Amino acid sequence: MLEVRRLSKRFGGLLALSSVSFDVGEGDVFGIIGPNGAGKTTLFSCLVGALRPTSGQVRFRGERIDRLSNPAVVKRGIVRTHQIVRPFRAMSVTENVAVAAYFGAGRRRGADAERRVRDVLERTALADVSGASAATLTIGQLKRLEIARALATEPRVICLDEVMGGLNPAEIVGAMNLIRAIRDSGVTVLMIEHHVHAVVGVSNRILVLNFGETIAEGAPQEVLRNPAVVAAYLGDDVRTEGD
Amino acid sequence: MKIAARLLWLAAAIFALAAPLFLERGSLNDLWNLAFAVILASAWNLLGGFAGQVSLGYSAFLGIGAYTTVLLSLKDVNPFVTLPLGALLAAVFSVVIGLPAFRLRGPYFTIATIGVAEAVRVCASTVEFTGGSSGVRMPAASFDFNTNYFAMIALAIVTVALAAWVKNSAFGVALAAIKQDIDAAEAVGVNSTRFKLAAHALSAAIVGVAGGLYAIDFQYIAPASVFDFRLSLSIVLMPIIGGVGTVAGPLFGALIVNTLQIKLLSMPALRDSFLFVYGGLLIVVMLFEPQGFVGVGRRLRRLVHA
Repeated sequence: MLEVRRLSKRFGGLLALSSVSFDVGEGDVFGIIGPNGAGKTTLFSCLVGALRPTSGQVRFRGERIDRLSNPAVVKRGIVRTHQIVRPFRAMSVTENVAVAAYFGAGRRRGADAERRVRDVLERTALADVSGASAATLTIGQLKRLEIARALATEPRVICLDEVMGGLNPAEIVGAMNLIRAIRDSGVTVLMIEHHVHAVVGVSNRILVLNFGETIAEGAPQEVLRNPAVVAAYLGDDVRTEGD
Repeated sequence: MKIAARLLWLAAAIFALAAPLFLERGSLNDLWNLAFAVILASAWNLLGGFAGQVSLGYSAFLGIGAYTTVLLSLKDVNPFVTLPLGALLAAVFSVVIGLPAFRLRGPYFTIATIGVAEAVRVCASTVEFTGGSSGVRMPAASFDFNTNYFAMIALAIVTVALAAWVKNSAFGVALAAIKQDIDAAEAVGVNSTRFKLAAHALSAAIVGVAGGLYAIDFQYIAPASVFDFRLSLSIVLMPIIGGVGTVAGPLFGALIVNTLQIKLLSMPALRDSFLFVYGGLLIVVMLFEPQGFVGVGRRLRRLVHA
């Protein structure tokens, strides 16, 4: 469904992504892990067209999308959330999500858009604060608002950038359930996450990046046993906690 | 409240349209000036207020409209027939500037618009067909005060109504999202360039028509009058003082600035100080109430209800 081939992104002297290749199949939950500065967020930015890759290709359902603008990619059905939340602070929660319903792949208007917004707010447990200003939300609610806005664009692929960062254990369980529900609704999920156990819990495939390069890719348990991954990122304690 | 506000708008429109029946020429002139200011302020607000793209180059559109009207009238075209063409030329020019300038953000965009407007002024003073720096005069007997008065009032009404419609439309939602966080807006599918260009073109077209009406009324234009940078400044000043990004703000701003100007100009001691007064007003607004006059009104309403 999504094919990434030899994707590179250079910022001046820094090679943030170095010839990264992988495939994501329809219905996958595809986890992306790696230390800070590994190029994970840059990868998402290149996938959705927020950044133009220096070289390489991204194909979505056969069509090259690596030269398209971010809004054009959204209209084809790929959307991302922001690790550092970026709500429209002067708008209510409902209005925030309505922007996405209006201008996403669904391009809904009027009562149709309202229905979509209500539905998304229910699914992301934001219905109770729908009228509140986005500036007044807690971090957990803001993370869900990011997801809600992304879902309101009616994506086929959703790229979640650390939606569990800053959440407490109970909220993390809620977020994992939400991700499974998104997958079950037929949306393919890519997720960047630092909580390794959460990624392993919901992903069926995992990609590990370090310094912009792929150091492992495959089924979660297999990847976690990979010595290069252990050395680069996870540390010894994970091996003992392991399976 | 909603209905009361609508009735108030309607009353203001009817008053302005019926004014020639009971007001004398001097007061009608003041109303004409006010309508002109409301048009410029409301039109600027479409891009500057709703989308947060502060342009200091609107004199270019006013001048393009004014010159289109005068130059074509000299070729025996009916002045009012030239207005749509002035609007079109201003809109096309706004897109030509906008394509490169909208790649810039915040103050960089603003500086680019100053540069473009100054370049247009210099061009208009240099090239031959505009009459150079000495300007051009409308053909004799092309002026009828009443026609021009109604045209200006009608354009003001249309502009304010259009602003209200834009604010509540999907277009307005896109502009609001762009204003608050352009990257987040793009991330949910808002094509920011397209919407900024559309808002720019719409406001440029309106200002272009206003420029044509200005030329018909004043009968004489020159680069120093219609392409003046101070004009661009006062176009920005009005919506900011009145309440940037609101529908009523530019109207209040135009009213406040216009009244102040008339008062100041009538006091010999303060004649030359009006820019000083505007500057002070601008600083006070930005420090204490970024929502301007409308923001003060909202605070008072909250106080009353609390």
